[in-house]
Formats: sequence, C-alpha cells, structure tokens
Amino acid sequence: MINRRHFLTTVAVGTASAGVLAACGTGSSTSGQTGSAENPVTINYTWWGNDDRAERTRKAIALFESKNPDIKVNGNFTDFAGYWQKRATEAAGGGLPDVMQWDLSYLRDYGQRNQLLDLSTVKINTDAFEKSLLPSGQIKGKTYGIPTSTNAFAVYYDPAKLASLGIAEPDGTWTYKEFNDFLTEVGSKSNGALFGGTDYTGVWWMFNVWLRQNNIEAFTSEGKLGFTKDDLKKWWNLTAGLRGTPAIVSEERVTQLAPKSPFGSNVTATEVTWDNFMAGYLGDSGAKELKLVPVPSDDPDNLGLFLKPSMLMVASAKTKFKDAAARFIDFMVNDPEVGQIFKTSRGVPASKTQRDGTTFEGTDKIVVDYETSISQYLKDAPEPPIVGFGTLESSFKRIASDLNYGKLDINGATDAWFKEAEDLIKQNA
Amino acid sequence: MTTMATPTQSAPDATAPVYNPKSESAGAKRAKSIAFHVAALILTAIVLYPGLWMIASAFKPNSEIGGGNTSLWSENFSLDNFVTAMDGIGGVSTLQFFTNSLVLAIGAVVGTILSASVSAYAFARIKFPGRGLFFGMMIATLLLPFHVVIIPQYIIFQQLGLVDTYIPLLIGKFLAADAFFVFLMVQFMRGLPAELDEAARIDGAGHVRIFGSIMLPLMKPALISTSIFSFIWSWNDFLGPLLYLNTPEKYPLPLALRLFQDQTQSSDYGAMIAMSVLALLPVLIFFLVFQRYIVEGVSTQGLKG
Repeated sequence: MINRRHFLTTVAVGTASAGVLAACGTGSSTSGQTGSAENPVTINYTWWGNDDRAERTRKAIALFESKNPDIKVNGNFTDFAGYWQKRATEAAGGGLPDVMQWDLSYLRDYGQRNQLLDLSTVKINTDAFEKSLLPSGQIKGKTYGIPTSTNAFAVYYDPAKLASLGIAEPDGTWTYKEFNDFLTEVGSKSNGALFGGTDYTGVWWMFNVWLRQNNIEAFTSEGKLGFTKDDLKKWWNLTAGLRGTPAIVSEERVTQLAPKSPFGSNVTATEVTWDNFMAGYLGDSGAKELKLVPVPSDDPDNLGLFLKPSMLMVASAKTKFKDAAARFIDFMVNDPEVGQIFKTSRGVPASKTQRDGTTFEGTDKIVVDYETSISQYLKDAPEPPIVGFGTLESSFKRIASDLNYGKLDINGATDAWFKEAEDLIKQNA
Repeated sequence: MTTMATPTQSAPDATAPVYNPKSESAGAKRAKSIAFHVAALILTAIVLYPGLWMIASAFKPNSEIGGGNTSLWSENFSLDNFVTAMDGIGGVSTLQFFTNSLVLAIGAVVGTILSASVSAYAFARIKFPGRGLFFGMMIATLLLPFHVVIIPQYIIFQQLGLVDTYIPLLIGKFLAADAFFVFLMVQFMRGLPAELDEAARIDGAGHVRIFGSIMLPLMKPALISTSIFSFIWSWNDFLGPLLYLNTPEKYPLPLALRLFQDQTQSSDYGAMIAMSVLALLPVLIFFLVFQRYIVEGVSTQGLKG
C-alpha cells in the first residue's frame, strides 16, 4: 500500500507545517496590565506537590485574594515528574503560567533560555532574606527566582533504635573517622538486624559539603568542574572499608526497598540528606521521633554547610501581569500568615519576617532548631547548578552504587564519572 | 461469559485423544492433564501476583507497604486508604476525577466509532482519486511517535485558546486521527463480501444506505474491539491530560493518582494504591463484559455474517 513516493510526500508535508507552526510560536507580550476590585486580573499559579500542599496553597491563595481584591489567582498542580514535562511543552509553546513554584536544578536551564522574568525589574521585597541565600536565584546578574524556603544537609538518626542497641546519641561534632566508627558500631551491635546507614559517598550534595570543608569549589564560575580526580578518589575512599560490612546497607537491599529509602523502611539507623525530608521519613518509617545533627567534618570550624533554596518562586517572562505576579510572589515569600499556613512543608521559611511570624511545633521545630543551630557555620548558598546538573547528580549516584556492587573499583568509577561530566559540560557549553 | 467458559475447560480433554490415542493409558492422560493444569495455575499465580499485591496493599497502613515488608496481608487490616482516596485532592472530590475520566473515555469511544467507521468505509469501498496516497499517509501517521507531534500540536491548541478544555483530547477521536482503528476497520471491511454491497446497489441503495444498513451491522465485532481499546487507552492516558488540562477540577484519574506520590514531601502509597484499585475496576468491568468480542473483532473475516 505504501510506496516510497507516498511516504516522502507525507514527510515533506509534515516538515513544512512544522516550520509554519514554529513561526507562530512567538507570542505577543505587553507589560504590566493591572486590574481593579470590580474588574480583577487573573494570574495562573502552578506548583507540584501532594494533597497536603494543595490544601495549604488553596488557603494561601484565598488569603491573598482577600487582601488583593484586584487580583484573582488560578491555582493548578501536578506531581513533580509530570510538572517538568508540562513546563517543557508549555515553554516550547510559549504558554508558561504567570507564576510558578520552581526547583533550583531547573533554574539555569529556563533562565538562560529567557523563559523566566527578571524579578529585579519588578517590586519584590527581599530585605528579610539572608544575603548569602539570594545569589542562588540569580544568573549573570539577573534574578530569576526568589527562595520560598531553605533546607540544609544533616544526619538523621532514630533515637529509639540507638537506645535499643545501647548506643549513645551522637551530638554532631564528629570527624569522618568517628562517623564511620559510629556506623560500624550500629552494624555490629545489632548483629545485622540494622545497618549503620547508606553509603553517604554516593550523595552528590554530601560530596559538595565535603569539598567545601576542604575549601574546594564544585563548579568554577565558568561552569567547569572545580575539583580533580584525586579529590573524588579521596572522597570515594572514605567509606572503602565500610562497603560490604554491616555498617552500610548493601546496594541490593537499597534496590529492593525502592521507592522507599532504607531509613524510611527501618533498615538503617541513620541517613545523610536534606533536613526537610523529616515528614516523609516519619510517615514512611512510622517512627515516633527522628533527630538531626550536623554532618561530620575533619575541620570542626568548617562544616561546609549551607542553606539551599528548597524551592523558589519564578514568573514567566511572557506574563501579561508583571505587577500582579510580583505582588503574589512577594506575598508568598514574605507574608507571616503564609508562613503559618505552610509551616515547614516547603522547607524552613527563607524570609525572616515569615519565619518570625510562624510558630513551629513538634517536627517543624526540630528542623527549624537544627537550621538555627548551624547558622554560625553557614556559607554562601550554591549558584544555580549548571544545565544538565540533574544528569550529573544521578550519574554520581549510579556510579557510586556500581562501586557498592563491586562492578567498578575507585579508579574506574572516578574515570567513568569524569568522562560523563566532561562530556555533559562540553555539550551544554 | 458462561458460554465462553465451557469450551475452554473441556478443551484439554477434547484434544488429548487426538495425538497418540493408543500408546497412552487413561491414567497417564489424567496425570498429564493434572500436570498441565497445575503448571498453568502456577503461571497464572505468578502473572497475577502484582495485582494481588496491589489489592492486599490497599488494605495496609502506609508504613507497611513496600520497604522491608514482604508479607502479603497485614494484621492491621483497615479501609483507611480507601477513605483517604475517596476524600479527593486539594478540594476536588475523587468522584469528580472518575466522572472526568468517564467523560473522556466515553467521548473517545463515541468519536472513534463514528469517525473511524466512516473513514474506513471510504477507504475500503469507495474508489476515489488519491485513495492509495491518503491511505499511505494515514498509515504513515502510525509511524510517528506521539512525542514528535506533542509540541506542534500544543502550539496549535494554545493559539486556538483550547488549552484547558477537553477539545484537544477528543477532537482527534472525532476526526479519525487514530489510524490504528481506521486500519483495523478497513481490514475488517475488506473481508466482507463485496457481493453484499453490489446487491444493495442493484436494489438502489446509495453509500449512506449501504454503510448504515449493510456494513455497520456486519462490523459489530470490529466496532466492539475498537470501543474496548479506545476506552482503555483513554482511561489510562496520562500525558495528554497532563499537557492539556490545567484546572484540577478537570483532571482525570491518572493525574490524580500521581498526586499521592510526592517526591519532595511524604508519599501516601496506601491511598495511591487504594485509588489504583478503584481506578482499575471500570476498565476491568468493561473488559470482562466485552472480552469475548475482542478476538472475534480482530480475527473474523465477516464471512459468516
């Protein structure tokens, strides 16, 4: 039925129409339309998250609309993975929503392609923000994102599990050797019932913390790698003696437990990760209480810790309602009542006015107290990660798990990761 | 259903004597039959296990799902997950998600049946200039992965202001854009004897009459299998609604399901699985009611009509 000529005709027609369509893609942009109480403007706001966040956001929007009768906010939400598929399509089609909840790893990508509004051109109050935090929403002098909230790296532990093994609770002043000994102690005292933790050297951000402890930068300002193969080898060697012992949960086990984490499945006593995962771990594990202490460091004065925006607020570069969008962002990041609505479910509020206006209890208090306790050690927040950072982060994890499987030795793993990283950086340069 | 079950069960006994009737004793035949059934049951159990796991997990508390918990049934049996699932998300009730899915699925079935059958009739029975070319082009659309056309399509609907309506999701169905179904029906119609239309034509029937009174009734098996596939595909579609729908009140079930699983906060696996069970029911019922037509639809050549 189909011969070659017919097929080619079809392809030709298809290509031609795609060209026409691409030409249609550039939409018109007018600046700053405003509304009134009788005739309000409507802005679209979109976020990712679960039922709980949807409920909280609905309340925040209602509050905003009651305070700003000239603006209506149309809220939409999807899950995290679908969120980025949808944004990519909308960006290509020129139809990004006016205001969006954003993730740091996507900021540079969309910012560089001029999809996001430079928020320094509109009125948003950032006086209550830590000066060290704001650069993580900026690219080449333009402010694309305002952090709503922060998270920091921490070691989680389950006090009940440690008590049952007769192990004293850590206070968070420990060197890598002491931390490793601690993991080994948990593994050996529990006779294999409980592992010490997961292999923390597989976590990119922990590596980043360690580099900062050694005064090495992860990426240079030109977007190249700031560390050498030897640094990475040193890092992966830190737990070389623990792999395959009860100190570290085996990679097979981790895979079996997915999508839950070993810590959430009550298989390990500790976990090194972001402090805002608290609610998730409590829900998954059913534990009564989990505690947070700082990460290990060989230099007690330099913990390498920093606050990272756990999420940001951005606006579309093509929004017709710049003023309304800016007022909504300002409200979401600064208003104390919004802080009271979200508590720490977005992370610890980044703006001081919002943080001070919120009463934290229970779990929320643990997370906020942790971030307060480390405040003297905090360094500048990281710049928005390079384009393709997500791939780098996941290949870091994958290669580290190959280490744990014994498929690669440390030299092989280092070479493998460097090759992937350098290829990726070259592609996106 | 019952008419279908009887021949299947007696099938092994009926076929067993065909090969080597003399060398085997009755006992050996019996043993073979038992071994066959045991093996078939074991395989069925393996294949069905994920389904069973899903149903069992829907009744477990969230902390006992996955992770290190290997037991199928939980001692803390509860219906809480279903309560949470039916509660809805962000102020939208789960019933609303079901209704939306149903509207989309029924729309897809109606649209596909109407448009694909008419187009198939044209391709199979009417000789018009360029028929081969158009048929080839239609088949060529089958070769285009959905992902290739996403962005151009999105731009069209965006410029027409049709984003956040059901139109982008349904219009293709009413315009016979699903080449697979048109192809299925064309093949089916080609199997129907041309003498039937010729006889009708001699009696003075035009295309409309031939299509309505002769072809459609004969195509019942093809129409039914088209309905089943089109219903299930629409019911399970995630990407289309994700891209084209913005208002949560318009979301169908697959989008709602994902909202229970949140990477940045806590995931409610229990409610997600409970909702999966609920979401599966309509498809399962639809399939069970019409399943005996599926094979018929794909394989019959229409001669017995």
